[in-house]
Amino acid sequence: MAPDGQAAPPGIAGGGELGTAIAAEPPPRRGAGQGIGTIFRDNLFKDAKNSILTLIFGGVILFVLFKTFNYVFITARWEVIYNGPLEFYMVGKDFGRTGISFEMLWAGIYTAVLAMGIGSGLGYDPEAPPMRRGARMAMIGGPLVGIVFILSMTRTITPTLVTLGVAVAMVVGNRIGRRLPQPIRRRSGWILLAMTALAFGLITDFTPSNIDDFGGLLLTIVVAFAGIALSFPIGVIMALARRSTFPLIRPLAVGYIELVRGVPLISLLFMGQFAIGFLFPPDANIPGPIFRAIIMITLFSGAYVAEVVRGGLQSVPAGQIEAGKALGLSPFTITRQIVLPQALRNSIPALIGQFISLLKDVSLLVIIGLQEMLGVVDVVLARREFVNQGYVPEAYAFVGTIYWTLCFSMSRAAQRLETRLGVGTR
Amino acid sequence: MSDQSPDNETPASTSLTNAATIAGGTGEPIITVQGVDKFFGDFQALSNVDLVVGKQEVLVVIGPSGSGKSTLIRCVNHLEEHTNGTIIVDGVELTKDIRNIQEIRRECGMVFQSFNLFPHMTVLDNITLGPRRVRKKPKVEAEAAGMELLELVKIPEQAKKHPGQLSGGQQQRVAIARALAMEPKVMLFDEPTSALDPEMVKEVLDAMQDLAESGMTMIVVTHEMGFARAVADRVAFMADGEIVEVGTPEHFFTNPQEERTKLFLSQIL
Repeated sequence: MAPDGQAAPPGIAGGGELGTAIAAEPPPRRGAGQGIGTIFRDNLFKDAKNSILTLIFGGVILFVLFKTFNYVFITARWEVIYNGPLEFYMVGKDFGRTGISFEMLWAGIYTAVLAMGIGSGLGYDPEAPPMRRGARMAMIGGPLVGIVFILSMTRTITPTLVTLGVAVAMVVGNRIGRRLPQPIRRRSGWILLAMTALAFGLITDFTPSNIDDFGGLLLTIVVAFAGIALSFPIGVIMALARRSTFPLIRPLAVGYIELVRGVPLISLLFMGQFAIGFLFPPDANIPGPIFRAIIMITLFSGAYVAEVVRGGLQSVPAGQIEAGKALGLSPFTITRQIVLPQALRNSIPALIGQFISLLKDVSLLVIIGLQEMLGVVDVVLARREFVNQGYVPEAYAFVGTIYWTLCFSMSRAAQRLETRLGVGTR
Repeated sequence: MSDQSPDNETPASTSLTNAATIAGGTGEPIITVQGVDKFFGDFQALSNVDLVVGKQEVLVVIGPSGSGKSTLIRCVNHLEEHTNGTIIVDGVELTKDIRNIQEIRRECGMVFQSFNLFPHMTVLDNITLGPRRVRKKPKVEAEAAGMELLELVKIPEQAKKHPGQLSGGQQQRVAIARALAMEPKVMLFDEPTSALDPEMVKEVLDAMQDLAESGMTMIVVTHEMGFARAVADRVAFMADGEIVEVGTPEHFFTNPQEERTKLFLSQIL
C-alpha cells in the first residue's frame, strides 16, 4: 500500500477505496500510479464472491489458452499449409494458367496498397487528438498477428520480403497523402480511382478475363472489393430513389430492394451461373462465372446498402433540408452537400457491418464451384498426401485466421473513420 | 387573387390597425400577402391573411402558439405551400414553379428557431455555401464576404470551428450571417431566440437590432416584447390563423383595440 500511495498523484492517493467513494471523480486510469498488487486486489479479489468468480474464469481462460497454444505449436500439422499448397490458398490452383507473372501481381498489389495508404493519409488531421495507445495497438497488432501467422507458413524468404514491401508502401502512401498540396488533394478522388484501375489492370495483366482463373485469397479480395466498390454507389442511388417523389422511380427502387432482399444470396448466385445462360442465344459472349458472381453479389449487397443508407437519410433532420431550401439551393445541391454527407456519416457503422458480411459471403462462391479460399481447402484436402488424414481442422483454422484478419482490419479502419468524422459527437 | 401589381395594393385607409398600411422604411411595399389560406389536411392554419410589408420596415409578428405566425412566414419563402391567395415578393408572384420559388428564396434570408446550421461544415463553409453554389461567387470572394459578416455578428474567431463547438447564441448569430451572405432583400426570423438559454438571448437580439438599424426589411416572429417595443415599426398580432390587429408598438402596448389582443398581452406582460 505505502509505495502505491507514494506513486499515486495527490488527487487519487490511497488508490481504489477512496476513488470509488468519490463518485464525481472519474476512476483513475488503470495502471496510472497504481501498483500491480492494487490492481489485482481492487479488480479481481475485492470480496469473496469476486474472488470465486476470478478463480473460476481465470481457470477457464488458462485452460483455453493452454489448449490453443498446445494445438498451434505442438499437435497441429501445418504441413497442410506450408508443404506446397500455400500458393493455392493465396492465388488458387489455376493461377498458373493465366500466364500472369508474380512480379506483375505484386506490382498490382503495391499500387493498390499505395492508393490505400494515400487515402488514409488524406484523412489525416494534424489537430485531431492522437489515438489512444490501446486503439493503436489493436489497430496494428490484430492484422500483424494474422500476417505473421500466414508468413510463418512459408518456406522461403521472398513472401516475407514482399510483405515487408507492402507495409512500406502503406506507410509511404500515408506520408504522401498527408503532404499532398491542396490543388491535387481536391482531385485526389480521381487519382485514387485511376490508381485502383491501374492496380486491377496489373493484377489481371490487362486482360480482365484472366480473372476467371483466379482463386484463393486473391479471388476473395477481388470479388469482395468489386462488390463493395460497386454496391455502395448502387445502394446510395437506390436509397435516394426510394425517397424520390418522381413517378415510377420510387416503385422501381422499392421493387428492386424488396425483390433482392427477399431471396437468399445462394439462389442469386445459382441464377447468375446457370439461369443467365438461358436468357442469351447460345453463341452470345456472356461474361465468365466470376464476373457473373460479382454482378450477383453487387446486386444483393446493393439492396442492403440501400436500406442502410435510407436509415441514414432519415436521420438527417428536416430542418437541415429547410435551411438549404431557404438559402435557395437546388434540390441536387441540398442532397449532395447537406443531406448525403450527414446521412453517410451516420450510416458508417451499419455500412461496415454490411461490407464485412459481404466479404464473408464471398465464401459462398464455393457452392457454385468457384475456388475462393474455402474452395481451395477442398482442393488441397483432396490431394494424395493429405486426403483422409485428418488435416481438416488445420486447413480451416488457417483460412479462418485470414478471414478474421481481413474483417478485423476493416472494422478497425471503420472505427478510425468514425472517430475522425466525429460520429455521435457533432 | 387577381394579378394586380403590388403598387395598387396600398389602401386609402390610414388607420394604424390595418395590415396593409406600411409604417417606417421607405413606404414602398416589398412583400404583399393577399387572401392567403393554408390548410394542413382539415386544419386551417391561415385563413384569409392580408399583409403588406414595406421596404426597410421591421414587422414583428406575435401571438399564441398555433396561431399561424410561423406558417405565415414559412409561406413567404415557400417552405410551406399556401393553399389559396397571392404572395408577391419584390414584384415576383410565388407560384409552384421551382425556378420562381428559388428566385424568391434567394431574396429572403431565413433564421430558424433551431438554428439549422450544417453540422458537418465549418462555420465559414456554412456561410459561403449559398453564395458559392447559388450566386456562383468564387471561393476567395465568398470567404472574404463571410468573414466580414462574422465580424458583423462579432464572432470572427469562430470561423474555422464546427457549429457543435459553439454556444447556442453563437450558433444563431452564425445562422444570421449565413442568411445575410445571400445578400437578401428581406430577412425572415422564425422565433430566433426561443431555443436559447436566457443569457444568450441578448446577443442575438443585439445582432438583429443592428441589422434593423442598417435598413434591412425584417419580419420577426418572436415572443420578445422588449424587442418588439424597441425595434419594430409595426407589430402584428395573430390568433387562430388570422391577423387580428396590426399597429405601431406604442399603439399596441398602450392601447390595443381587440379583446383577443388584450387577453394575450395581459397573459404575457
